[in-house]
Amino acid sequence: MRQEKIRNFSIIAHIDHGKSTLADRMLEITGAVEKREMKEQLLDSMDLERERGITIKLNAVHLNYTYNNEDYILNLIDTPGHVDFSYEVSRSLAACEGAILVVDATQGIEAQTLANLYLAIEMDLKIIPVINKIDLPNANISKVKEELKNVLGFKEEEILLCSGKTGEGVKELLDEVIKRINPPKDNTSKQTRALIFDSAFDSYKGVVALVKVIDGEIKLNSEIKMMANGSTFQVTELGVKTPKEKKMAKLVSGEVGYIAASIKDITKVEVGDTITTTDNPATSPLEGYKKMKPMVYSGIFPVEQNKFENLKEAIEKLKLNDAALTFEPETSDALGFGFRMGFLGLLHMDVIIERIEREFNIEIIATSPSVIYKIIKTNGQIEMADSPKKFPSSTFISTIEEPYIYTNIIVPATYIGPIMELCQNKRGIYKSLDYIDEARVNMHYEIPLAEIVYDFFDKLKSTTKGYASFDYEICGYKQSNLVKMDILLNGEIVDALSIIVHKDFAYQRGKTIVEKLKEIIPRQMFQVPIQASIGAKVIARENISAMKKNVLAKCYGGDVTRKRKLLEKQKEGKKKMKMLGSVEVPKEAFLNILKDGD
Amino acid sequence: MTKKGVYIHIPFCKSICSYCDFCKVLYNEHWVYDYLRVLKDEIEDIYMGEEIDSIYIGGGTPSSLSVKALNYLLNLIKKFNIKDLKEFTFECNLNDLNEELLLQLKEAKVNRLSIGIESFNQEKLKYMGRNHNFKDAVAKINLCRTLGFNNINIDFIYGFSFEDVKSVKKDLLTLLKLNPEHISTYSLMIEDNTLLKIRNIPRIDDDTDALMYEEIKKILKKYHYQHYEVSNFCKEGYESYHNLKYWHNLEYYGFGLSASGYIDKIRYTNTYSLTKYIKGNFEKEKIILTKKDIMDNHLMLGFRLMEGINVLEFEQTYHERIDKCYPINPLLKNGDLILKKGNIFINPDKIYIMNEILLKMI
Repeated sequence: MRQEKIRNFSIIAHIDHGKSTLADRMLEITGAVEKREMKEQLLDSMDLERERGITIKLNAVHLNYTYNNEDYILNLIDTPGHVDFSYEVSRSLAACEGAILVVDATQGIEAQTLANLYLAIEMDLKIIPVINKIDLPNANISKVKEELKNVLGFKEEEILLCSGKTGEGVKELLDEVIKRINPPKDNTSKQTRALIFDSAFDSYKGVVALVKVIDGEIKLNSEIKMMANGSTFQVTELGVKTPKEKKMAKLVSGEVGYIAASIKDITKVEVGDTITTTDNPATSPLEGYKKMKPMVYSGIFPVEQNKFENLKEAIEKLKLNDAALTFEPETSDALGFGFRMGFLGLLHMDVIIERIEREFNIEIIATSPSVIYKIIKTNGQIEMADSPKKFPSSTFISTIEEPYIYTNIIVPATYIGPIMELCQNKRGIYKSLDYIDEARVNMHYEIPLAEIVYDFFDKLKSTTKGYASFDYEICGYKQSNLVKMDILLNGEIVDALSIIVHKDFAYQRGKTIVEKLKEIIPRQMFQVPIQASIGAKVIARENISAMKKNVLAKCYGGDVTRKRKLLEKQKEGKKKMKMLGSVEVPKEAFLNILKDGD
Repeated sequence: MTKKGVYIHIPFCKSICSYCDFCKVLYNEHWVYDYLRVLKDEIEDIYMGEEIDSIYIGGGTPSSLSVKALNYLLNLIKKFNIKDLKEFTFECNLNDLNEELLLQLKEAKVNRLSIGIESFNQEKLKYMGRNHNFKDAVAKINLCRTLGFNNINIDFIYGFSFEDVKSVKKDLLTLLKLNPEHISTYSLMIEDNTLLKIRNIPRIDDDTDALMYEEIKKILKKYHYQHYEVSNFCKEGYESYHNLKYWHNLEYYGFGLSASGYIDKIRYTNTYSLTKYIKGNFEKEKIILTKKDIMDNHLMLGFRLMEGINVLEFEQTYHERIDKCYPINPLLKNGDLILKKGNIFINPDKIYIMNEILLKMI
């Protein structure tokens, strides 16, 4: 019985609570990686992940561990901590029987501790609470223990202590994983069903799918079938990640591993789909994941129009293992051909934009993010608009509804006042306030998502000096008094700069935006007026005065080459600009107008 | 103007000016002779014997050389095939001017002096790390005139953060009392590796800079100077013949440390390292120009001239019509460029933002 010796588990935590470091120690203790090969946050394979110190993509690794003289296989599935990637978390949790809940001994419970824990409970996983970073001088173990007991309902004896940094308690933690988490069920005799929880493209192997075999088994050379689209492939390689890929002859019920089958067409492999085999076919697929709907939309345009096809290809590749990403072609008078892309949140958007620019080397312009508005027209029809461009003329609009979120804002109680003020300014509706202990509270508001997209994170951070943690879930649509605001450059509307704004905030926002644009857009050969307008009414205006000097200085000594280089450098700078009519606009203008000046 | 010019760089200075980013070192007698010997080698090595009709000795401070060293340098000039020398400019520091030096230059047929006075504003001079006064200058310039130098250029600098239009005007009017034939005027640039940069001295904002430039143009016009290049003004007939070669995209040799030349479609620049140069390693950085490069340079340089580029000459030189190679017509239409009597030039109102116009063309 292979299954009894297998444990599939995840580590879940709030961002920065030491999840990746703890995973590093587990890799080291189990000998999966020798110490000399060890680099920090080994499972964060993207440069972007290491640089930002965040986990974006999940990653599965197969560890060998001996407990009571018996050999076990531990499949550790790493998960992202940020709210935008809770989708990834639920994907990895679906492949597990248990989860380690990591809480920082110096910080205590934070917003995403709760969010991720609820996801795990929903999936019926066994939870092992562990207090991490106990080596730190300011660790307050007894206080965090109280929080785990009082807020989350754990029992004293369930709570483990460890330090991912020193390794203290990590071995005991692994022992508890074996003791407390159930082995996967042995369904080897059933019809084959394997859940695809992630995939990636390899130039040599084609699409590589990460799977958990729930029922039956998959062998090398067997013919597999994707249940969503019926296409079949022959398995060319399968195995486990240790974290290097280790080839195996088969994967059986309960095991987590990878499968490659020379699949060239990336659209054939859908995350959440079920793989079966043609010799032992299943009749019905596994229950996939609930599809995550994008919440934030932005227009993505290549700076150079001839890169449109490259952009399309890049987005398709990213979509391969990021099912939440959506895109459709979009055309802008100002920016040409591009895509309207949907993201789970702002961080998700940031990460995708950066990946397109870095991994595919395509310079892009992203327009201000928008949420999806529900427009009830005067004729009773309902339209969903994910872009200001899709708004019908105001005469046809009866009412507009916008999505609201329900917040968990965990802060020291001393910040209750400032947070209330912030939320009020962001059109928030107060719901309730829970005390985590006498010093910390969890504040619940309903706030329009559009305000979160605007600058809520930055404001929250500065208001609380970084002490707040924040998480949210969508809680439905509410009617709002919204208007479309256009931005005019040199008298012409720039469609890519239009935004939807609450009427009461329009003047302030318009003023901020034109001031910001004045800062970002360099001086041109002529004076350029910048206006914000609602319909035909101009509500804010600034002028960029004409450029007065741009000339190469002394040309003596005859060093023409050097002068030429200076000119070429200016030319390169211009290439990064977008011509809107006769005005050169840097690409930052399209996104930065959203960020407040202060 | 098909004959070539010669530029020779003398990188030695008695003191280093805070704004200067030209290639220079503090004067050192020992290095001077090593340098001049290698300079001789370089000329013998590179020069192909074509007829030369303009020479420009710049620096650095060529006038810092001792009588003996200068004699050696001026003897090198004899290596050039010269039948009709149109212009021979020698750069001088005001403080170096004396009868002996001037006679030596006269003897060698130097017919134009370029004197880096820059300013008489004491605060400015202090910032620049220079020292001279108006009274001395009058005496020295008079000496030059007495000894027969009647083509004198004076450099004028403006744009320090503590200056305003009024003080620039006053400074320029003082300088004009010297009645030079030619004035080169530059707004201060804070270049890398200059003392000003290291000391973090700010320069003036572009708007004030442009106002100063307008004021300078106004004054010089009133004093009957012709504005013939972005930064250069002269009395009638005193355009710099040698420098026009640069702006007409014509060929010239460059000898000495950091010197640039343009020969046979190759633009080259010598090493900036004195030790390398003295070892005879000129380390020329060469760029072989394509026809497009040459035409682009023609625009970049030619449009610095107020008279701009002659359409027929351009066509004769490159066998291409300028308006077929570059988007000239829309720029004539929007007033960036002006066509008059067969010449295309930058609208004088826009000369101080001419890069913007160049960038629309090349």
